[in-house]
Amino acid sequence: MSLANYLKPGQVKILVGKTKAEVLEELIALAGKCFPGVDRDVLSEAIAHRESLMSTGIGQGLAVPHARLDGVTEPMVVVGISKGGVAGYESLDGSGVHVVLLIVAGKGQHEPYLRLLATAVNVLKDPAVRQDIINCSAAEQAYAMLTRM
Amino acid sequence: MYTLAATEVDGAHLPVLLVVGLAIFFGTIGAKIFQRLRIPQVVGYICIGLIVGRSGLGLIDAQAIKNLAPFNFFALGVIGFLIGGELHRDVFRKFGTQFFKILLAEGMGAFVVVGVGTGVVIWLVQGDVSMAVAMGLLFGAISSATAPAATVDVLWEYKAMGVLTTMVFAIVALDDGLALALYGIASSVAENITGTGTGSFLRTFGKIAYELLGAVVLGVVSGFILNFLLRKIRQEDGGLGLIIGWMALVIGCALALGMDLIVAAMALGATLTNLAPRRSHSAFSVVESFATPIYVLFFVSVGARLSVGSLPAWMWILVLVYSIGRTVGKMGGAYFGARWAKAAPSVRKYFGLCLFSQAGVSVGLAILASSRFEGEIGNIIILTVTTSTFAMQLLGPPCVKYAIRKAGEIGLNVTEADLIKERDVAAVVDRESPSFNEGTPMKEIFRVIAETDATVYPVVDNEKRLVGVITLAGLKQSFRAEGMSQWLVAIDVMELAPDTIAEKAPLAEAMARMSEQSLEYLPVVESEQDLRLAGVIEVRKVKRLLSQEILRRHRAAEETEGPAPGAIVGQG
Repeated sequence: MSLANYLKPGQVKILVGKTKAEVLEELIALAGKCFPGVDRDVLSEAIAHRESLMSTGIGQGLAVPHARLDGVTEPMVVVGISKGGVAGYESLDGSGVHVVLLIVAGKGQHEPYLRLLATAVNVLKDPAVRQDIINCSAAEQAYAMLTRM
Repeated sequence: MYTLAATEVDGAHLPVLLVVGLAIFFGTIGAKIFQRLRIPQVVGYICIGLIVGRSGLGLIDAQAIKNLAPFNFFALGVIGFLIGGELHRDVFRKFGTQFFKILLAEGMGAFVVVGVGTGVVIWLVQGDVSMAVAMGLLFGAISSATAPAATVDVLWEYKAMGVLTTMVFAIVALDDGLALALYGIASSVAENITGTGTGSFLRTFGKIAYELLGAVVLGVVSGFILNFLLRKIRQEDGGLGLIIGWMALVIGCALALGMDLIVAAMALGATLTNLAPRRSHSAFSVVESFATPIYVLFFVSVGARLSVGSLPAWMWILVLVYSIGRTVGKMGGAYFGARWAKAAPSVRKYFGLCLFSQAGVSVGLAILASSRFEGEIGNIIILTVTTSTFAMQLLGPPCVKYAIRKAGEIGLNVTEADLIKERDVAAVVDRESPSFNEGTPMKEIFRVIAETDATVYPVVDNEKRLVGVITLAGLKQSFRAEGMSQWLVAIDVMELAPDTIAEKAPLAEAMARMSEQSLEYLPVVESEQDLRLAGVIEVRKVKRLLSQEILRRHRAAEETEGPAPGAIVGQG
């Protein structure tokens, strides 16, 4: 299983925001644009609720904000890259977050949801790969790297 | 135009079916009303019979009752068969002597008290000693019979089990035999006294022996054959057609051969249950499930048949003496018989109360007497017995209920299905079942799972509302990537609850839903509107709880036997 199964070129962007809230808002807007079936307000609320339970900054520069929503039939992902790092993400290992994968799935999609989360983590667990992606200057370049693995 | 009397539309089946429909439909409604009033359902059936029968609206008249006779024979056969099913050989081994002693005492008690009482009344009114002695003997013999149908229907309705129940099952069926024997002797003596005799004493006795022993032989032989057939022919419906067909054959043979059909059917049931206890268990269940409408029809027609005409004042006294004498004789005889047999205290105290019902055999013997002693004697016997039956049929079942309640035997003979039917979800919900808040980290989830044996763990939000469930199978997905469990929480690994059930819903509904969806559990919520978690029900835990309850009740039923005679009590 690779991220190529879930990613399309427009679903990767170089982040402008500097804070956790700004970055999440940016990615929620992108998800709303890429997936017309997803209500931005509902997604925003679900992501905020999940973050309130425990930060999704999972360490090693990665964050995987995620939520399950009614009406979503396929798992989906958008990726944001921050060269300078996102401030205040409260990562598990205390390090700055540079790659953010926002994952959305349907309420009943227990298995595909966890499979996509696992795929995202497995793809980015190699520090060299992670660094190459952070160094990308364009979204298309990052997309090509993410879907090659 | 069709009317209820079949004779008016010869050859048409509608009237009989209309009577059957009326009886079963309104009988069932009547029973439900009486059950709500906590009165045994059999009284409801009989009251509906009274309303639609000869004493009431007259919708079911004499001809209609006659047309129902085959159904009634069949009902008596079913009742006899099911009573036979209760007579396992270990019951006889355990209580055989007690059965004999109590049966003899209660039957003879009624015979003596009624015989003397009615004899005295007739002597005082008529001034004829020989007539008084003859009628006293006949009344005494007739009064010794007990109606098994109305009595055991109460035991079945209230799921009774215990030593008193066992005694009632055996004795109410067997005392028909005693009544027939007493009647044989009494009628022969009466014929000699009154000079109306046509047959010898030996001939009368031979006939009774044939009726009873012939029925036993018929029942036992047919029991062996039915057992063979059930072993050889496997049927998907549990053998319903085979068993019902065979029972109808046996009942029909008993009638054709002039044998006692209840005894024949009882011998059939007893033979079957003793030859193959396990296989026959399903046979009895099949007949039980089929029997309810037949019972309803039978009891409604019992009520419809009862008639209270305008009697002269002295006849009312005779009815009163007969009824009170029978009650006192049965109760006193049962008490002394139970003491003689060293029966359990509950049998000594309450057995007599279970013997008041009087119906088919008594009325049948009264009719027999009226045809044998034509004229005044016959008329007095018929009127007295039917009028007293009217009262006894209404009084008997509530007394049986009172007796088994006082003996603590109500509700002890239950199955898993009975317990499911009488409970709601709240009675079995596991409120201590572990659940997780949606933000619970995986480390804590693993710890709780390792320490508990649940198969499902509900997940709730901060308001305790159910949001999903964690299952062991679902949890496996969280091992897909290394270290995932460090940053996942309960809401990430939960699945949607496949279904939920409200706390106040019937347990039967919960079990049906789990069965339909092949679920092993259901999360329980406060109500359909209030989704706060109340707990979980798991099929295996519910079944374990119900098994424990059945075992507890069966032990309680065994305890009703009390200490064995001669046992050392209170060794401290």
